[in-house]
Amino acid sequence: MTDTRGLYDDVARLYGPIALVVAVLVFSLVIGFAIRYRASRHDASTVSRRSSAPLLEAVYVLALAGVAVVLVATTFRAEGKEGRLASRPALHVRVTAAKWRWRFDYPGGVSRVGGERRIPVLVVPAGRTVRFSLSSLDVVHAFWIPDLRFKRDATPGQTGVFDLRFPPGHATSVGECSEFCGLGHASMHFLVEAVPPAEFQAWLARGQRAAG
Amino acid sequence: MTITQPTTPPSARLPPTYPRGVIDAVAGTDHKSLGSRLFVTAMGFFLAAGVLALVMRTELAQPGMQVVSRQGYDELFTIHGSTMFYLFAVPMSLALGVWLVPLQIGARALAGERWVLGAWWLLVLGGMAMWFGFLTQHGAAAVGWYAYVPLSDAPHSPGIGTDLWVLGVALAATASIIVAGALLATVARRRARGMTMLRLPVFTWTMVASCLMVVTAFPALVAAMAGLAWQRHFGGIFDGPSGVIAYQHLFWFFGHPVVYVVFFPFVGAVAEAIAIFSGRRFFGYRPFVASLLAFAALSMSVWGHHMFTTGAVENRYFSLTSTSLLVAAGVEYFDALATMWRGSIRLTSAMLFALGFLLMFLLGGLSGIWIASPPLDYHASDSYLIVAHFHYTLFGGSVFGLFCAVYLWFPKVTGALLREPLGRLQVVLTLVGVNLAFLPMFFLGEDGMARRVADYPRSSGWQTLNVVSTVGAYVIAVSVLVFLVNVAVSLAFRRPAGPDPWGGQTLEWATSSPPPPGNFEGRLPAVRSPAPLLDAAEGRA
Repeated sequence: MTDTRGLYDDVARLYGPIALVVAVLVFSLVIGFAIRYRASRHDASTVSRRSSAPLLEAVYVLALAGVAVVLVATTFRAEGKEGRLASRPALHVRVTAAKWRWRFDYPGGVSRVGGERRIPVLVVPAGRTVRFSLSSLDVVHAFWIPDLRFKRDATPGQTGVFDLRFPPGHATSVGECSEFCGLGHASMHFLVEAVPPAEFQAWLARGQRAAG
Repeated sequence: MTITQPTTPPSARLPPTYPRGVIDAVAGTDHKSLGSRLFVTAMGFFLAAGVLALVMRTELAQPGMQVVSRQGYDELFTIHGSTMFYLFAVPMSLALGVWLVPLQIGARALAGERWVLGAWWLLVLGGMAMWFGFLTQHGAAAVGWYAYVPLSDAPHSPGIGTDLWVLGVALAATASIIVAGALLATVARRRARGMTMLRLPVFTWTMVASCLMVVTAFPALVAAMAGLAWQRHFGGIFDGPSGVIAYQHLFWFFGHPVVYVVFFPFVGAVAEAIAIFSGRRFFGYRPFVASLLAFAALSMSVWGHHMFTTGAVENRYFSLTSTSLLVAAGVEYFDALATMWRGSIRLTSAMLFALGFLLMFLLGGLSGIWIASPPLDYHASDSYLIVAHFHYTLFGGSVFGLFCAVYLWFPKVTGALLREPLGRLQVVLTLVGVNLAFLPMFFLGEDGMARRVADYPRSSGWQTLNVVSTVGAYVIAVSVLVFLVNVAVSLAFRRPAGPDPWGGQTLEWATSSPPPPGNFEGRLPAVRSPAPLLDAAEGRA
């Protein structure tokens, strides 16, 4: 399973508050010092001549390194899960990017292809692990589903394989190309429709019958 | 679209101690004159690229296409980004070094002056090549400042505009390598008696670190451009998926260090300003130098974080190296703050820009640590969050640092003081403009707006934030106008600065403003620390 959104939230829940604390601290110190030690309200004879504190700085460096270790450890844990492929995904969809449209190929000859004025819909079973193989026919594109907090580059001549899991329940969201690919880049969109698994099976079966 | 070049020869602005005339303007080799020409050239490109940004922001103020075509928009962001990096930020960093490093180390001249003169010509030619693309049939390059293959190859991007872009980038990069080499040679060979490496002024150390990165990383860019030129005409260099990825490696091996190349010299300027305007020696000199060198070394091993989403690099390795940068950056913040601690702070325009730098860069730096984590970057990469991040580092950081440097050293360069009230107005406008322009981009990116889009759907609900951002861009434009007015007023109605208007600590303040040919008359002050003039003032010399 790859709950990309959950992993994003896990990492963000650590990184966000730390960033906030650092920002508040540095803003307070910079502004506080600028006011507190302003020449006009501060006796110049009390200016410190101290210009190094090796021990303090060494301790501080170790503390910073400690923060880096905590951040990196959390990232590594999430990244390990992110890269893992399920042994038995519920569905395999081939995604092909080309200037400036998307094509989604399902098992049994079912395809959804975007057109000049037609945004293709990627239909997926909600709450199940879906395997994607991503490639490009021309230049580098990128397959981005903001709601899942996930994107992957589509490199021509190379197939990227990854698993995604869409949250349970009915949901429609937008997908887009995020790597600049030329004139039509801004409108290279697709829609994602996550539907309950039973509904998805019915949809796929209808498509397979139609495909003959 | 026209090319903005300085209309007055830079030498015309210099006081009469300099030889005047056309010959000097194109062929003078005095480092101060060379530095001024590099500065004015880079500043011209900054203004020109800023105009492009205004056009883009105007287009993005509402959904649909109103001002330019999609092709036009793609040309705008390509030339905006390319100009800002290759023709403004890097040459500007080096210009400060060319002007100030010989003075700071007590040298009479730059090593390899004629090389630097040639490099300036290369830069001007390169910039002209890139901008002349707008006059060609297919328009200027429209491939983004990193010009990924195969989008930038001939079948996908026909037209001479892209060829001119490749040529321009290669020339500008070559120019940068030459100037960096000359600066390193100057520091290595031309230091005054007593000026050991661990007595170099802080700004000079930041230039050394920058130049080391230029000479090690920029050849990769020259190679990438040579390969791209060949690919466009004959093919066979970046073919197939491995070629596509190889180009990205080659580009980012240059493309990450370059952001520190255009950051360090401004850190140096800010550090000097904070020391001077706190009336204190810069705190933690040795840890600061060590952190700079560690930063520079580490910068050569972080490029893969630009490729987290390719699935072609070891993300964990690059995440580790990139996140480690926070240690080096943290040391620099510690030293800056400790210098202010129990100082006697004068809030001049230079100091205000230095403090603005500390605050604004912080937002860029913290967001940088955020996107050094692959699970977060899978969402942020190539979104407006990235645009926000690097504008906080490059505008909030480098440009704030640049104006800090300008307010600090303008009196040294011209002999005249800039007007402080106009300076304070500029600080306020820049702070307001930067935050209006770039803060909304964090939210737009998080909400799913991709970068480099000429348009966005009306249904996205992104218009309000985009309007705020556009207003911010115009506020920045006004702040830059205030700066230009300040320069014009201060040069027209001169208030003499004297050799040392601020209570400077380093050797450039021990000579007249502007310094005479040969830089110093009489004996140099004894150099026993990185702040020789402070030693004298404190009675240690």
